[in-house]
Amino acid sequence: MSYEMIGLLMFSTMMLMLLTGQRVFGAIGFVGAFAALFLWGEGGTIMPFSAAIKLMKWYPLLTLPMFIFMGYIMSESRIADDLYEMFHVWMGPVKGGLAIGTIFLMVVISAMNGLSVAGMAIGATIALPELMRRNYDKVMVTGVIQAGSSLGILVPPSVVLVLYGMIARQPVGQLWLAGAIPGLVMAVLFMLYIFIRCSLQPQLGPPLSKQERAKVTWSMKFGLLRAGILPLVIFFSMTGLFVMGVTSLVESSAVGATTATLAAFFKGRLTKQVMETTLRKTLEVTCMFMWIILAALCFGAVFDGLGAVKTIEFFFVDRMDLSPWEVLIMMQISYIIMGMFLDDTAMLVIVAPLYVPLVGALGFDLIWYGVLYTITCQIAYMTPPFGYNLFLMRAMAPPEISLADIYRSIIPFVIVMTFGLAIVMAFPEIALWLPNWHYGK
Amino acid sequence: MLNFIKGYVRVVDKMNYLIGRVAMFTIFIMVGVMFYSAITKTFFTPALWTYEFAQFLMVAYFLVGGAYSIQLHGHVRMDLLYGSWSERTQNRWDSVTSLITIAYLILLLYGSIDSLIYAISYVERSYSIWRPYMWPIKLIMTLGIFLMLLQLISQFFKDLAGAKGEILS
Repeated sequence: MSYEMIGLLMFSTMMLMLLTGQRVFGAIGFVGAFAALFLWGEGGTIMPFSAAIKLMKWYPLLTLPMFIFMGYIMSESRIADDLYEMFHVWMGPVKGGLAIGTIFLMVVISAMNGLSVAGMAIGATIALPELMRRNYDKVMVTGVIQAGSSLGILVPPSVVLVLYGMIARQPVGQLWLAGAIPGLVMAVLFMLYIFIRCSLQPQLGPPLSKQERAKVTWSMKFGLLRAGILPLVIFFSMTGLFVMGVTSLVESSAVGATTATLAAFFKGRLTKQVMETTLRKTLEVTCMFMWIILAALCFGAVFDGLGAVKTIEFFFVDRMDLSPWEVLIMMQISYIIMGMFLDDTAMLVIVAPLYVPLVGALGFDLIWYGVLYTITCQIAYMTPPFGYNLFLMRAMAPPEISLADIYRSIIPFVIVMTFGLAIVMAFPEIALWLPNWHYGK
Repeated sequence: MLNFIKGYVRVVDKMNYLIGRVAMFTIFIMVGVMFYSAITKTFFTPALWTYEFAQFLMVAYFLVGGAYSIQLHGHVRMDLLYGSWSERTQNRWDSVTSLITIAYLILLLYGSIDSLIYAISYVERSYSIWRPYMWPIKLIMTLGIFLMLLQLISQFFKDLAGAKGEILS
């Protein structure tokens, strides 16, 4: 059997196993480990465990449990509540304003955390019930929270960019800065969409009523601005210190986690219940990610041993006879399609090592590609049938929001995000300007 | 036989619950070690052991805590079909398909024991300035994988019972 056939067989077996609903890490690990065993016999038996050693040596991965911990501290202790209040009051009078305010809230939370879990939890528990109570359209609101929270992996800090940085061997500092402006551009696009849609169909997002607005005095409005201090402190203590070169990457995430915990403590919100949920959820989510990465590393190593990079390069460049740009677009499309069916973390560890060298060989900037890659991940996170955001949303949303609502809600936002992806593809400066300016290339 | 299985499930679940609850708190030590690292680096002489130690803590955290995360049903599944089945159908499928996860864990355990024996017999040390011995962390990793395997087998028994419409423990 040729190597290409073995590779194809492995991939299709994995997909089949995933379809049975077995735990994702089990399905991937099984295919990887047994392929190694059949290909290399006795020598292959060490491969599953070598993946564990490799994972241990990827020290930037330490940021993952810290960000998860921090995210749950923020959402469980509800220290972001008055932040929501702030955007609510300031944006309320605009058409669709509460939804636009929610996007603002998501950007701020994204700047404090590197995953989309925190934004999702805060959005679903604070913003969602409030917006539904004010007669916002439920499909609209669900989409806003999913799209908004996905910014968590684009706006620095970002765990996805840390993982990408490890695979592509690119400095995380530059990657994080490169994600900042595209993240904001994306947020503005979301807001424009919401504003235009709500102007055309006011019933989707009614502004606050006159009586309600009259109740809010200016001193209250300015008083609420104080809520913005906390995110600034956390952002500075984490991303700020890291980009300035004071603390290293992992140290920054530890400083951030400590700051968030202290903030919750001084607000008197650090109850035993909060601590219990945070610790349990952190273990649960970290284990989920780590076991998947462990299994995917083994799978990826076998793939690598089969020379899959060369095969894919040959397929795209020689057999299909495509120009570099066409290859890039094809890769992004194949990524989104695979992301629909494959677990996203696994995809990151299996597919990125295959694509990244090819992108480099074609002469593209790998920092810029990191941003494209993250936006594609964002889309993959949201597209059914397999997407973490969909799972999380279903777990957290109130019962009146059905699965069909969730699926329907993301369509306009996926279109907006694809548009955003195209903009960053066409104008690499959007991503590269800030890191080039800061690191003085 | 049935009594033996019931006893196994009870003992393994209880043991992994307790171990998992302890492992859960490792996150504090991880944050603490890296925070200490940031402080010493900024104000004093940098500590040399912090990174590697934190790495050890992290693998111990998710390997030893893995069994508890299985109990919490924390592992994602692709639920395109799975989600629409009844609990009994899910149990039926799981009692077959979880064998692949168990098989993977067996290979993982085999590799880890191999690596542990190497680390002990050659007194392996890490290539760093700190140069720690590798066998303690490898022992913990092997133990964690073994506990995960025990838990998955316990889960398998529960699925099997569930497929017959019974409930274990």
